[in-house]
Amino acid sequence: MSNHLLRVSGLFAGTEDKPILHDVSLSLGARETHVLMGPNGAGKSTLGRVIMGDPAYQVTDGSIQFDGCDITDQSADKRSLAGIFLSYQAPVEVPGVPLYSYLRTITQKRPELKMTARKFRARVGEIAEQLDMDSSFITRELNVGFSGGEKKKIEMLQLLLLQPKLAILDETDSGLDVDALSVVSRGIEAYRAACDGTLLIITHNTRILERLSVDQTHVMVRGRLVAEGPGSLIDDIDAHGFEQFERAAEGTDAQ
Amino acid sequence: MDSQTTAVPELTLGRINTPPAQTWNYLRTNDVTLTVPRHSRAGDVYFALPRLFEGIECGVGPDATAWVESQASDARYVEVRAGERREEPIVVSGMDTGVMVRAGAEATVVVCMPSTDAIPAGIGTSGSEADGINTSAALVRIIAERDAHVSVLEFVAANEGWQHIESVGIVADDRARIDVRQFFLGAGTTVAGLACSLNGHNARFDLSCRYLGRGDDRLDINHVIRMRGKNGRTNVSESGVLDDRARKTLRATIDLVHGSAGSEGSELENVLVLSDDVTNKTMPVILCDEDDVAGNHGATIGSIGPEQIQYLRDRGLSLEEAENLYVRALFDDALIAAPNTTVRAAVVERATEVLGAELANDLVEALGLDRKGE
Amino acid sequence: MSERTRKRTQVADVDRSLYDFTYSEEGYERYDDGLTPDIVRSISAKKDEPDWMLQMRLAALDTYHAKEMAPNWGPSIAGLDMDHISTYVSPKTKQAKDWDDVPDDIKTTFERLGIPEAERESLAGVGAQYDSEIVYHNMREEVAKDGVIYTTIEDALHDPQWEPVVHEYFGKLIPPADHKFAALHYAVWSGGSFVYVPAGVKVEYPLQSYFRLNAEGAGQFEHTLIIVEEGADLHFIEGCSAPKYYEANLHAGAVELFVKDRARLRYSTIENWSKNMYNLNTKRARVAADAKMEWVSGSFGSHVSYLYPTTILAGDRSSCEFSGITFAGATQDLDTGCKVILNGADTTASVDTKSISKDGGCNTFRSSVVVGRGAANARASVSCQSLMLDDISRSDTIPAMDVRNATANVGHEATIGRISDDTVLYLMSRGCSEAEARTMVVGGFANPVSKELPLEYAVEMNNLIKLEMEGAIG
Repeated sequence: MSNHLLRVSGLFAGTEDKPILHDVSLSLGARETHVLMGPNGAGKSTLGRVIMGDPAYQVTDGSIQFDGCDITDQSADKRSLAGIFLSYQAPVEVPGVPLYSYLRTITQKRPELKMTARKFRARVGEIAEQLDMDSSFITRELNVGFSGGEKKKIEMLQLLLLQPKLAILDETDSGLDVDALSVVSRGIEAYRAACDGTLLIITHNTRILERLSVDQTHVMVRGRLVAEGPGSLIDDIDAHGFEQFERAAEGTDAQ
Repeated sequence: MDSQTTAVPELTLGRINTPPAQTWNYLRTNDVTLTVPRHSRAGDVYFALPRLFEGIECGVGPDATAWVESQASDARYVEVRAGERREEPIVVSGMDTGVMVRAGAEATVVVCMPSTDAIPAGIGTSGSEADGINTSAALVRIIAERDAHVSVLEFVAANEGWQHIESVGIVADDRARIDVRQFFLGAGTTVAGLACSLNGHNARFDLSCRYLGRGDDRLDINHVIRMRGKNGRTNVSESGVLDDRARKTLRATIDLVHGSAGSEGSELENVLVLSDDVTNKTMPVILCDEDDVAGNHGATIGSIGPEQIQYLRDRGLSLEEAENLYVRALFDDALIAAPNTTVRAAVVERATEVLGAELANDLVEALGLDRKGE
Repeated sequence: MSERTRKRTQVADVDRSLYDFTYSEEGYERYDDGLTPDIVRSISAKKDEPDWMLQMRLAALDTYHAKEMAPNWGPSIAGLDMDHISTYVSPKTKQAKDWDDVPDDIKTTFERLGIPEAERESLAGVGAQYDSEIVYHNMREEVAKDGVIYTTIEDALHDPQWEPVVHEYFGKLIPPADHKFAALHYAVWSGGSFVYVPAGVKVEYPLQSYFRLNAEGAGQFEHTLIIVEEGADLHFIEGCSAPKYYEANLHAGAVELFVKDRARLRYSTIENWSKNMYNLNTKRARVAADAKMEWVSGSFGSHVSYLYPTTILAGDRSSCEFSGITFAGATQDLDTGCKVILNGADTTASVDTKSISKDGGCNTFRSSVVVGRGAANARASVSCQSLMLDDISRSDTIPAMDVRNATANVGHEATIGRISDDTVLYLMSRGCSEAEARTMVVGGFANPVSKELPLEYAVEMNNLIKLEMEGAIG
């Protein structure tokens, strides 16, 4: 048995009319931190969504193993309960549901997290403090009318509350929002401190990674993983961009 | 004649909850008709409210309001003195209630059905015995003088054995602020009408109405906001969940009367329809007689959006659990807003019927409340 | 910020000379005012109709007398007295196929309205109705060759091939008992068009009927029946105008549109009735599977209008689009909108309306969207914007929605407001006069509708807006 938490093997996936991911293989060990980088439109977010089980994408070949089980055909809620968490770039607004009711419901769904209400309230309060959130947010509707930074905080709050085995943080577009960036950094630190989870950070902004020890970096170009390397690969990308990988990808495409 | 059954005579009330502007009658959205008991008050001395309350428009319309008046055990006039901050809520019981909130004062008015201490004994507690339907009603008229701040909290948390009529009329003077929160969580029939007239300048009206219809529940809601003074603000937000065979009609009218220059009114409804047997009727109306104003309304009616469902699934909820979350959220909200133990008890009881004892318990505990209150 | 005082522009009555000319009715056949079975019989006799039509007329007349108008209905039509309306006025002329055969005064009328010119340039066929009768009807040969029929209902009734078709469809979509004025229509209808597009035929250019009511104190009751067979495609345009009188005129037409599987029908209207007209018109379309109905509607004229084109999305995956604009000026009370009934699965409806009120004019936007229990995954969206140009006008928005399916999605949004001072200021800071700025804003507001019209009509509509706005700017 491997000690890999997530193992993506030979994955082909896309939307009904357009293949996006080609032969993607990726293994994430327990407690590791991985970074997935690549130019815009490379398919990084798609990979995150496919791992989460978004039905907008179909897997045409390959498999996804998580925690020793094949989850390729599982629905998103099953994967979530199994311990996968995907933080959204742009969290969806859910009118009619106060954050409070939502958090309580998703917590109670998880036997390992079931706690008394008192403890739950204390825990939410604690995390809110950690993330420097105002307590009034709790009665507001989920993500409705929140700013980008606030929405990020709510995603991080859920991450810390649920303590998933694998957290996929899709930060592709948040590069410019300094506020959101610091929230995410704080969330990552707290997650690291709180549990031994695995992180997959999807980004093309390296600043978020500055204070993080990265085990492995993956580079995706046009739906393929074209390079893999240690954390230091990030500095290389920082200095030279993605061009070298794009050229490499052209070679692959031509085959 | 045989007098063993003390059958209460009945009355058919037509054109209840009629909005100011109506539409095609064949759509059957213009009004609602209800059969109600008519207790005779002959021989009783009845002390009416001060005359000035008579002129206040009430949401259910004049006929239904007159009926509630005629069935009320008594009239009760409450005055909150100028500048006073009244902590204790004014609880509307079976009496025809008039509340005068003087300049700069603050008050909270609470209507709850059913509740042990507020169920109107005088207002037809029994309808036709044959079908065992109980009828209750509440009527409150509120005058908010300038700079007054009035919160109105309404809860209907009964079961299918009840029909309830609730009529509210409010007038607001300069800079008065009116906050209304309504929770219609159940009753075989709920007919609720609220009218608010912003007579003064710079007055503000905020309404949040949340409702739940399930089983064979029938809900009929009429909101009428007359914006008469300058620079008024109205914000109406309605949202609800309908399941099973529930039937709901909501009329919401914002009337920008000539002279209301600088005013803005907005009204929004979100309806979650969970069953094909639901009947959901919505009639959002803006009447506008003034150019320097902004009015808008919107409605979205349907199932939970695919994006929302995906988001909730990603966090571990099945479709059914996602739908239940919306119902739970209603009760969470109602409990947070509940001002006292009586109301809380009524909401929890209703939550137990709807969500089951375990979840109802969790609601209470999670909010750090206990059943008997704080 | 200090409150900005706004200057309101004074408003003169609009120059309608383009539409406001009349010709003598001398030598015309004009039936007595009022409504009696005798008048109905004479109309029918004159048209030499099949008996079923006469019986339908007489039954409709009874219905008309029996039906009450709802007391809680919109604008008042108290000024309309049927005892002072002649239901049938006809020029003493035969229907022509060549403009040269049309009597001079009538020909001049249509020439001033630009109809023959439009026919030459951009239409596949034209019908022109003057008071109660069609005076001109013609269609391009190549269109006729495809088997397209474009004629009057009267002529179709005299044709053994088409009489059974008319019998099958006439009055089926809008039954005479639908409402009081539908009953009136069926009692005294005269003129209008019968269009039949055979399966698979795509008519490249629009067909157009133009309705002109010249006589004072008269009514026009034309009936339009259009059948677009499977996979066929048609654009039909109707235009209406009348000179101004002080006596009330009445327009109570009926339009029945049958859009079969996979067909498409676009129905465009530019209505500019004079301001003594009661326009109580009924239009309805039934749309079969995978078919599409498109409405484009510009309402400028009339004293009072009740106009709510109805679309019944009966077939699965059928759809409709409605774009409308209503401009209400002084003395006008226009109650317009539309109705959509979604019965088929996966049906979609999209409604986009604009209204402009000025000079004390009243606009009511009224709609109903009804989603039936079987309309799984139906989608409907209604958007309604109203512009108030002064503080003596009025604009009401009264939509109703009735949804009975859990997978359906219905959205509605409406806004009412005025032209923002900032916008006017911005345009003025770039060199526009205030008047130009306002006209520009109103034109932009109407643009989503006018761009749906063929160029000539878009130009006509923009001219109408300019006319109205120039009046406003004085």
